[in-house]
Amino acid sequence: MSKTLKIVLAANLIVLAVLAFVHPHLMVGPGKLIPGHSKLEKDCFACHAPFVGTTTERCTTCHKPGEIGRLTTLGQPIQKPLTSTPFHQRLLKQDCLACHSDHAGVKRFRIKGRFNHVLLQADARKECQSCHKSPKDSLHQQITGNCSQCHTQEQWVPATFDHAKYFVLDRDHNVKCVTCHLRNDYSLYTCYGCHEHSSESIRREHIEEGIRDFKNCVECHRSADEHDIRMPGRRRDGGKGHDGKRNDD
Amino acid sequence: MTTPGTASLWRNHILPFTLLVTLLGVATVIGDYLLHRLDLVWVGRYLGIPGTLLIIGSLTYSLRKRKVIASGNVKSWLSMHEIGTWLGSLMVLLHAGVHFNAILPWLATIAMGVNVISGMVGKMLLGRSREHVQTQREHYQLRGLSKVEIEQAVFWESVTFDAMTKWRKVHIPIFIVFAVLALGHIVSIFLFWGWR
Repeated sequence: MSKTLKIVLAANLIVLAVLAFVHPHLMVGPGKLIPGHSKLEKDCFACHAPFVGTTTERCTTCHKPGEIGRLTTLGQPIQKPLTSTPFHQRLLKQDCLACHSDHAGVKRFRIKGRFNHVLLQADARKECQSCHKSPKDSLHQQITGNCSQCHTQEQWVPATFDHAKYFVLDRDHNVKCVTCHLRNDYSLYTCYGCHEHSSESIRREHIEEGIRDFKNCVECHRSADEHDIRMPGRRRDGGKGHDGKRNDD
Repeated sequence: MTTPGTASLWRNHILPFTLLVTLLGVATVIGDYLLHRLDLVWVGRYLGIPGTLLIIGSLTYSLRKRKVIASGNVKSWLSMHEIGTWLGSLMVLLHAGVHFNAILPWLATIAMGVNVISGMVGKMLLGRSREHVQTQREHYQLRGLSKVEIEQAVFWESVTFDAMTKWRKVHIPIFIVFAVLALGHIVSIFLFWGWR
């Protein structure tokens, strides 16, 4: 390698090294910082300890755990808090990096909107509605609390609501909710939302069987199985039934 | 109309070179797609480590060639150098992904790419050089050398061939730039990253 080439190479590399110190956010920073920390973009060691990385202790120097969600780092009340109830005070331990990453390039590796509820104290885990708003649909508007009856803390859907308790959704009834629950009103249902059932044919079949009260289909039909028909309040031999095979509850 | 010499140059040298470069690009795109599809993006983040180790390991060939290391078949070391740097580069490219965050690691990636292409040009030139020194084989046979000794001697003739010497004058500075930039990136990671 010629001497000139060596000098050119060395000069270029020295320039790059100088740039890394003068503009570290451009040269080595893994993406933009969050807007709240943008003033720190040239001061890497405000958050990073050399060879150790970012520690919770560094974060809590400015962000006092007792004030998070209530006051800004300057001690001013937060005008528009991100959550309706401050919850950082109810974490099992302060481990900021378990949820937060400030550089855009690092945030990419985090799954968005995924908060591990295990980080919360046990009693706080039961108070879903202090952080989450109940959906506006008519089903959820009727329910208060007890979210864990249907939903897990890992994800909202699939919910463990057991539809089979009311009606078995078999392959012939694998349809969108709105087919039976018009306008997503889960307090009501109709069996006439598909081409298979028409009010006229249902009326005719039931009248033939001597059944006159057939408005509430699921009272007797809990599935599409024609042998699984329950007729509460009626005796097994009470008049003609569907194929004579009734299961009275 | 192509002459037999041109056809052989294309078939024996330019085509394998083009295939190797294309394969590296295609493998990177497919690998990156699979990592995203299988929700294994975090794996790509750490592929830089084995990739770098493979590239460093493959430098053993340079040490053997310069006789810093005395043992081992130099042709095998060369094969390991070629495979190690190709595979290591693939891992580093997957590690880089298509994420434009900082300038220094991207300069290192570009330098690595130039280095890989330069290496493949060297591989092509070495093949050409081997063809030129084939006439030496008879000379060594007449001197009564064994088959293994002849292979070694022909190999050394080809790596010291004029074209190779000229190529090395380009390849080594490219490698030094890549090494320094990569080192800068690695030092910055150790300096700022929380290893836990």
